[in-house]
Amino acid sequence: MRMTTTKSSHGHQMLKGMLATVLLVLILPLLPYVFAVNTDAPSPVAGSVPNPGADLWRAVRQRDGVVTGSSQVKGVETGVLISPAGKDWLEFRREKLIPYSAYVFAGVASALLLYFLLHGRIRIKAGRSGVRVPRYSRYERWVHWIMVVVFLTLALTGVILLYGRFVLIPLLGPEGFHVTAQISKWLHDIMGPIFIVSLIVMTFTFFHEALCRCKVDMIWFLRVGGYLGGKHPSSGKINAGQKSWYWAVVLGGIVLIGSGLVMYFPNFQQGREIMQDANLIHGLAAVFVIAFMFIHVYLASVGMEGSLECMTRGDCDENWAKEQHDLWYEEMKQEGRIGVQSEK
Amino acid sequence: MAAMKFYCDAERCIECNGCVTACKNVNEVPWGVNRRRVVTIKDGEPGERSLSVACMHCADAPCAAVCPVDCFYTTDDGIVLHDKDICIGCGYCFYACPFGAPQFPSDGAFASRGKMDKCTFCAGGPLEDNSSEEFRKYGSNRIAEGKLPACAEMCATKALLAGDADMVSEIYRKRVVNRAQAALGKGSQLRQRKFGSKVDLEGKVTN
Repeated sequence: MRMTTTKSSHGHQMLKGMLATVLLVLILPLLPYVFAVNTDAPSPVAGSVPNPGADLWRAVRQRDGVVTGSSQVKGVETGVLISPAGKDWLEFRREKLIPYSAYVFAGVASALLLYFLLHGRIRIKAGRSGVRVPRYSRYERWVHWIMVVVFLTLALTGVILLYGRFVLIPLLGPEGFHVTAQISKWLHDIMGPIFIVSLIVMTFTFFHEALCRCKVDMIWFLRVGGYLGGKHPSSGKINAGQKSWYWAVVLGGIVLIGSGLVMYFPNFQQGREIMQDANLIHGLAAVFVIAFMFIHVYLASVGMEGSLECMTRGDCDENWAKEQHDLWYEEMKQEGRIGVQSEK
Repeated sequence: MAAMKFYCDAERCIECNGCVTACKNVNEVPWGVNRRRVVTIKDGEPGERSLSVACMHCADAPCAAVCPVDCFYTTDDGIVLHDKDICIGCGYCFYACPFGAPQFPSDGAFASRGKMDKCTFCAGGPLEDNSSEEFRKYGSNRIAEGKLPACAEMCATKALLAGDADMVSEIYRKRVVNRAQAALGKGSQLRQRKFGSKVDLEGKVTN
């Protein structure tokens, strides 16, 4: 009995001690507040002091903020305090345009490679006849190859400026890449105006061929040009795929020229946001046209036997014409131009 | 490691444009470029405020992030500078910057563009300190001489503060507290009209 009472009194004491300790631990840190409240010095608690700078920037920066004022410095957008659109443009360019355009290029290129590996080169089934059919005049070939030089220069220099920082600076170093980038920018600037002339000439040169023959072209599209098997669809001088390429270059070119001129002449008082949009449109249109160019170059070179000589020699083999452009071949036959070589 | 910053105290700025002039004078900036400008908001209305704006020398600068030739660099003092020997003058930094700091020098036909120009915090460029070539390309290097940017040193009302971020914010913090203390002690308003206050037709502040 006695033992148990001693034990219980011991237990009570321990409990009291623990309670006191807990209270001490909880209350002691609060003591400075007692003195803080009692001090007479005006030490305003944070939040009660009006901070005019913070208020002003909040009013300027937040939604519906007054970001535009006036400035004695005359110029474009000198009265704009903050233009937040640049951040969106920067992020789109860095996180969407650069990686996804690379995926598009790689995707189209590997699809063509896969097609080549599975399907091989499209041969002239009946073999070469040796009889030539005139296809492109010397003037048309010049228009085409000048456009090739201008277009490839613009595409290559543009792509260098788009990916250079991530691909070429690690290889060449900043000073080495500066030379490449500076030459690329100059060439891009010089070739731009030449592209305008070149595109206008090309648009009119091939316009009559690229007009839609709706029924023939619809059938061509439905059969995917016969590239995926099945009967080869009929086509006139150029097929619906080539017409699509023509219109992609013409319409894409117009977009590229328009957006390019906005960036080319910063002295037309256009603001940053217009130039950011122009830059993005320029990039998207360029990616589209360059990816389309891969298909055109593939089918005009390794992809198909007898197609490249149409643009180099100016004439094609009779059997190639029969197989690829049957309607045009019939027209040429009626005109009695089979066997006529194109001017060199 | 210091982080150099500008801060413009809008309660003190009187839109004298002394900073703009000092900058142009000290750095002999290219024609058509103003590395610093004073923006007045609500000009002529109650609550009018002026702010002197130049490059903010961002910690994560958009100009540096977008530059296709990666010519921007941040000094040990936290100053964002660019190398005109690497810059190709594409203008992407001008698109990206929210403050309009990098600019095209437009000195030729059709605004033919040279290298981009921007505020250097009077710290010159990557060339040898205070060499004539550095001065020609970037302007003076006052930081190398142990001085602060000319705009801030010139500021008559000491509205424009420049220097280490901790010191600038400490100066500004003291100003804020002192103004509040004075207002509490005297019972007066800081200013009659805060920026953002509404005014009725008679010109009286309604809130």
